[in-house]
Amino acid sequence: MKGNYSILAVTALFCAALLTVWGCQDDDSAIVKRNWQLVWEDNFDGPAGQSPDAANWTFDIGVGPGNDGWGNAELQYYTDRPENVSLDGDGNLAIISRRESYSGRPFTSARIKTQGIFEQAYGRFEARIKMPWGPGIWPAFWLLGANIEEVPWPQCGEIDIMEYRGQEPNLIHGSVHGPGYSGGAAVTKSFGFTNDRFDVDFHLFAIEWGPGYIDYFVDDTLYQRITPDDVSGEWVYDHPFFIILNVAVGGNYVGFPTDQTNFPQTMLVDWVRVFRETN
Amino acid sequence: MKKYNQNYSAITILIVLALLTFFSCKRDIDDLKPATFPTTAEVFIDGFSEGLAYAAFGGSKVTAFDVDTDVKYQGTASMVFAVPDAGDPAGAYAGGAYYTTVGRDLTGYDALTFWAKASKSATLDIVGFGNDLEESKYQVTLQNVALNTNWKKYIIPIPDPSKLTQERGMFFYSEGPENGLGYTFWIDEMKFEKLGTLAHPRPAIMEGQDQVVSAETGQQLPVTGLIETFNLPTGVDQTIGVAPAYFTFSSSETSIATVSSSGIVSVIDAGSSVITAKLGDLDAAGSLTIQSAGQAVGPQSPAPTPTVSPDSVISLFSNAYNNVPVDTWNTRWQFSTAEDFDLQIVGDDVKRYRDLNFVGIEFSSQTINATAMTHFHIDIWTPDPTDPPAAFKVLLVDFGANGTFDGGDDSSHELSFTRPLLQTGQWVSIDVPLANFTGLVNRAHLAQLVLSGDLPNVYIDNVYFYNGGNVVSTGPTTAAPNPTRNPADVISIFSDAYTNVAGTDFNPDWGQATVVSQPSIQGNKVLLYSGLNYQGTQFASNLNVTTMTHLHLDYWTSNSSGLNVFLISPGPTETPVALNVPTNGWASIDIPLSSFSPVDLADLIQFKFDGSGDIYLDNIYFYKTGGGGGNTPTTAAPTPTFSAANVISIFSDAYTNVAGTNLNPGWGQATLVTEQMIAGNNTLVYTGLNYQGIELGSSQNVSGMTHLHLDFWTANSTELKVFIISPGPVETPYNLTVPTSGWSSIDIPLSEFAPVDLTDVFQFKFEGNGKIYLDNILFHN
Repeated sequence: MKGNYSILAVTALFCAALLTVWGCQDDDSAIVKRNWQLVWEDNFDGPAGQSPDAANWTFDIGVGPGNDGWGNAELQYYTDRPENVSLDGDGNLAIISRRESYSGRPFTSARIKTQGIFEQAYGRFEARIKMPWGPGIWPAFWLLGANIEEVPWPQCGEIDIMEYRGQEPNLIHGSVHGPGYSGGAAVTKSFGFTNDRFDVDFHLFAIEWGPGYIDYFVDDTLYQRITPDDVSGEWVYDHPFFIILNVAVGGNYVGFPTDQTNFPQTMLVDWVRVFRETN
Repeated sequence: MKKYNQNYSAITILIVLALLTFFSCKRDIDDLKPATFPTTAEVFIDGFSEGLAYAAFGGSKVTAFDVDTDVKYQGTASMVFAVPDAGDPAGAYAGGAYYTTVGRDLTGYDALTFWAKASKSATLDIVGFGNDLEESKYQVTLQNVALNTNWKKYIIPIPDPSKLTQERGMFFYSEGPENGLGYTFWIDEMKFEKLGTLAHPRPAIMEGQDQVVSAETGQQLPVTGLIETFNLPTGVDQTIGVAPAYFTFSSSETSIATVSSSGIVSVIDAGSSVITAKLGDLDAAGSLTIQSAGQAVGPQSPAPTPTVSPDSVISLFSNAYNNVPVDTWNTRWQFSTAEDFDLQIVGDDVKRYRDLNFVGIEFSSQTINATAMTHFHIDIWTPDPTDPPAAFKVLLVDFGANGTFDGGDDSSHELSFTRPLLQTGQWVSIDVPLANFTGLVNRAHLAQLVLSGDLPNVYIDNVYFYNGGNVVSTGPTTAAPNPTRNPADVISIFSDAYTNVAGTDFNPDWGQATVVSQPSIQGNKVLLYSGLNYQGTQFASNLNVTTMTHLHLDYWTSNSSGLNVFLISPGPTETPVALNVPTNGWASIDIPLSSFSPVDLADLIQFKFDGSGDIYLDNIYFYKTGGGGGNTPTTAAPTPTFSAANVISIFSDAYTNVAGTNLNPGWGQATLVTEQMIAGNNTLVYTGLNYQGIELGSSQNVSGMTHLHLDFWTANSTELKVFIISPGPVETPYNLTVPTSGWSSIDIPLSEFAPVDLTDVFQFKFEGNGKIYLDNILFHN
């Protein structure tokens, strides 16, 4: 499918609501109208239970190469089973976290990526997602530098378009991790609702990324712009990145799930689309 | 312009309402649109909101609530609650409701919120809203709220705000001491809010379980466990208790059961129906499946009509008597599940209990003086299984002279009844001497009767006390015959003639109605069972009677209509042997122990009688026949006393025997035949009998005789037959009872041997086994 998408980021109205809680800086609210051309997408159409399209996605399996919960002390074991990742039959991808003993881990979940299949520098990356919920649930829609095999993290760069903690269902977070500003020192900003939550309906999470800037959006709201001036180290966002979707359980970022956390928990992804800016 | 008009109309209505309120203008109500109610959100911010009132709950410490201007989360004041210590005379807990006299429209909110903290970590029992001190139709409760010493925001979601168009119950709470100690908690900034951050509502009935209950036609039972779980803005779940009015209930089979809007299920026919519910558009988890058996199973005929004279009766419940006042037939004490019903069976009033775990029956307003009474009577009928150990229990409580419960002079006793008294599907009469209620020290102020046990369905009738003093039978006037067994051959349970096994309990409490006593008759102690239903005897230690052959007992009864004796080994394995009753004087019986098979004779623990009437027992002992391993009689057979003129003798020292008789003809038998002198008396001995003939010296015409007489003795034979034979041969056997206890004498009518030709008897024959001693083989007239 090809087409021009014209998206006007209208933020001024929303800023008023955000001011009291998170502030609203002027440089984030610049209204920029760009023309985007779709270059890659997955709408997750297909029968329920079908695995995500192998032409678009590969899987991360297990507990991470360091056997350390993917560097974050995450508790889940990632699988490629349909029980953990498959189409829901209604046009969505479902990534499902389960409380079950599996290969020595107390939970299972899934993490899929476009590494080696689709990688791009710059453009608009967006996904329409309905969140899971509950303490210790940590879904994310994010990008990693495609040179990670040669240039280890964080030098390869990481762009977190959306991260979310299940115990804060009205908040999402957008971040970059690079050399000298990774992990707890990442450059990050949160976006929140005062009277709504991200787990009751779908919302669109996006970045618009070009040389020298990354703009973060929730629906039509631009809530953060990160530029080389904002990072304390090297700006490592001028090379191709690949896409990752996952739901982690537990870990340093989110804390442990509790008895109160309902399982299974499902992140539904309506689509993932990538655009390139055109004139 | 249009919009302006609408606003104008609304203002007009408000003014009209205000006029109505203040000036009581009389107007036609049809002219008015539905009243609107204030949407005030605030309950308590720094003081009572508009129209708010407070009422403390009954039994609570009414001064527990106050307004605190020192401690507050925000603003100038908070609500402070002083939870009393346990035993505070001013009230046992803190509790009350905040309500308005004019309802509020809360449809625009989704939760009641407040901030709270406590003087120490504590668990607040209940908070909620919707308690208007009347119907409390839309009450919502949050239980076990964890408080600590830091201010924290609490949220009580509204299950369905559209219901709260005129809610008066703003807030209520109830909290008792923590581990007996009071403390203080504060609540501030209480208001209704539209949070928008409550998610994933999950209503449930039966707490989300699919429950199945047995029921019967006419029964009503509530749908319980009405809850809804919300995910709070913190991502954690919180479950609240929700009033039935928020739900809509439905029944899958309305011909079997219906369910009201308040969640009360009415069972109307036999069959199965599933009760489910919705809250708004959401299906509630959980269900209640009603499995109705239809009409209850009960007796088809009335209980037997009592025959005791009304003069001797104090009746609580019987159509046969005038009944004394009873306060209640169901005190509904805590944890009692019993439901009571009055019904008639063929015109006879009967009380029914369902779901009986225990039920109190109280007559404390006018206590009963039963000092002149001797017995308690109740008839019961149950459809439930009565296999042991199922029990039905009767507790009598006397309040003592002060007539008050727990007044320090109460006394009570409970008796338990089991099979064989209890029977399924038939009326049984529990007729118990009051003396059996041994703990019931007094019975001048009886105030309570408590029924309990393992029978959930019980019908009762004819509940009365009576004086049965005149119904006891007169007993024997002579002692039982003195036993003559060698003590070495005896294990005695109850006899003055022997040393009895030690420690036997002659009246263990097996729930029997029988009264046990040990009167003396002619200086001889006997065991008396009065009013026998059943009666056990417990050995102090297990008895091995494998070396014994018989159980002997002497018994006397003039009024029993049935009597069985049982031996019992662990299991229990028990076997009855029926005794002939009533007796004509003392009856002695020697029961071969083989009759009690399969009871383990190596491990007897108990014996038991059941039946009816008053039974006198004596000389209960086990014995073995013969002495030692010799199996030899130590005494001669009794010397016959028939006149020699009326005797044709074959083998006897007392008479002239038929001459030429061959006592050991060679018929191919294995039997060893000898003759032995025993106590100076010549005795015929068959050892290792299979069969054995006798050929008479001459054929005998015994048609003028009436009986064949034999004395025989055997300790180990299990089969013994005697034949007389006429030519043909024509022969007929007659069974002799073996083994014997001492010498057995028998006189067999010769007619028993038909069709043997009695004019021409020429041979005898014995068949069987064991070692047999024979004497005085003769025909007599």
